[in-house]
Amino acid sequence: MLIEIKNLYKNYFMDDVEVEALKAINLQIKQNEYVAIMGPSGSGKSTLMNILGCLDTPTQGQYLFRNQDVSTLDDDSLSAMRNKEIGFVFQNFNLLSRMSAAYNVEMPLMYAGIHKNERRERALKALDRVGLADRVEHKPSELSGGQRQRVAIARALVSNPGILLADEPTGALDTKTGDEIMLLFHKLHEEGNTIILITHEQEIANFAHRTIHIRDGMIHSDSPNDPILVKQKMSSLILR
Amino acid sequence: MQFEENIRVAIRGLIEHKFRSFLTMLGIIFGVASVIAMLSIGEGAKRSAIAKYKDLGVNNIIVRDKQFTDEELEEVRAKFSQGLSLNDAKVIQEIIPGVTKVACQAELTTDVKQADKSARSTIIGITPEYIQLLNIELEKGTFINEDHYNRSLKVCVLGAGVAKTLFQHMNPLGKMVKVDDQWFEVVGLMKSKTLFTETVGELASRDMNTDIYVPLSTYKSRFTQENSLSSEVQQITVQVDDSGKLLEIAELIKGVLQRHHFNNEDYSVVIPFELLKQEEKEREIYNFLLGAIAAISLLVGGIGIMNIMLATVMERTREIGIRRAIGARKSDIMSQFVTEAVAISITGGVIGVILGVSLSLSITFLTDIDTYIRAYSVIIAFGFSVLVGISFGYLPAKNAANLKPVDSIRYE
Repeated sequence: MLIEIKNLYKNYFMDDVEVEALKAINLQIKQNEYVAIMGPSGSGKSTLMNILGCLDTPTQGQYLFRNQDVSTLDDDSLSAMRNKEIGFVFQNFNLLSRMSAAYNVEMPLMYAGIHKNERRERALKALDRVGLADRVEHKPSELSGGQRQRVAIARALVSNPGILLADEPTGALDTKTGDEIMLLFHKLHEEGNTIILITHEQEIANFAHRTIHIRDGMIHSDSPNDPILVKQKMSSLILR
Repeated sequence: MQFEENIRVAIRGLIEHKFRSFLTMLGIIFGVASVIAMLSIGEGAKRSAIAKYKDLGVNNIIVRDKQFTDEELEEVRAKFSQGLSLNDAKVIQEIIPGVTKVACQAELTTDVKQADKSARSTIIGITPEYIQLLNIELEKGTFINEDHYNRSLKVCVLGAGVAKTLFQHMNPLGKMVKVDDQWFEVVGLMKSKTLFTETVGELASRDMNTDIYVPLSTYKSRFTQENSLSSEVQQITVQVDDSGKLLEIAELIKGVLQRHHFNNEDYSVVIPFELLKQEEKEREIYNFLLGAIAAISLLVGGIGIMNIMLATVMERTREIGIRRAIGARKSDIMSQFVTEAVAISITGGVIGVILGVSLSLSITFLTDIDTYIRAYSVIIAFGFSVLVGISFGYLPAKNAANLKPVDSIRYE
């Protein structure tokens, strides 16, 4: 079992009010699953994503990653988790605009202490995997939205993380480009990666093989997507 | 390895915001430049003071004949004082413990001629001990010695200035010059001496390059005093074995002279060493002030850096969030920003050093003030700039490191 969340609660303070963002969350995710987490805004899906991505720790309960309880880790250890096991992909890409694509992709490896030559090699490989081998020295401002997201995905992949955690990855892209990115995720899933997609769009959630609905801080439903529908969706995409 | 990256990112940041970086550095630049300029002026002053006093002899006490008007002289003679004399010197040498050597000199100003050239010069008649007491540096030949003195030879040693006027670049050794109305053979040539333009105690400033030395014995027999009331010698230089005893021995000398001059104070006793110490003390206050100014400007410079860094951190909140999300630890963020602060302060430091050194050199070139740049002052100033960068970069860096990744990544 890759991820196990047991009886998890998360509270935080907004001004002086204590907000219960997540209540009694239980879920499990296996290796190579493709999961979508859906919910309206305010449902707690972002909070859940932060906890899954080790950006935050639960108030109560356990978060086991590869059977290790990460809920009680200190700041440095959490940073190490994010560095090695979590590959973030954000809606607005979150690249460093003054650095080249290659540099952006190398960054997690820099923080892992990997040597320059190896970093470079791995970054170039990752960029190749997402189809940007010919844009490695371009800065984000010289790339289209779709290309920027690919760079972000390459950066997420470069340290061979346990999960790819994508937060509305197509939110800033037009439909056509968005489809290209979802195709890329499909390919990465086929290659063995575990993908967790956070979205509020049904269309996007339909690309995944399992959907978890969150509402008011609790899991409302958690069920596999109809495999035929998924297949249909993918074929139509590939044909387009 | 990550250190390298930090430096690269820091320098890139500096270059991208050249104007802003420059403004930030101004305080450091000024602070460092002023530290160097101040230290070099101080060092220059110290060196010229030491050189000045070296000429007079640090272990010496100088007894000088007072310049009196004719009426005053008459009065003093009437009260039985003959002024400074060879006998005074003899008594001082014999009676006072701790005195190693005593030299006498008599002085008169006259014209010196060679072929068609003429120079106004001070003729100094000296006893042979002179060379052991005072800082004599010969360019050529020999100085007045015992043989010259004992045989009252008509020999002289020329100051560099006189020699140049009379002989230009010709070798004056062995040639004859007419001193007053007497012919003297040149046996030695002095090295050029730097002028000291301020008076030292009661010793009037003088250009020693226009001096000519002759044996005192010759002087007495060949030159008649213009003024019959003048003292036999104008200066007695007393050397002591222990500079710690200078004050004590000076008092003893005053006692001896008081008795021999029948309570007429027609002489002054100057202790160059004490004057040097006093000057040093005065300089210390001055140096302290300059140091305070330099320290304040470095402080202001540091505050400038901190200010800019705090703003920079705010500006880059999102970037910091991104870095943290991909695995940067708090210490990684800290070292990144401290490096940026240090990059600014070091660059400011280097520019400050260049400015400070140029300033010192220009001061020497354009004015009379001596400066002397020592390696340690550059190192200290530079070291301070690094320290400032680290200290004033610390707080902003800590702020950056403590930003919560969750919030900062969504910061607009």
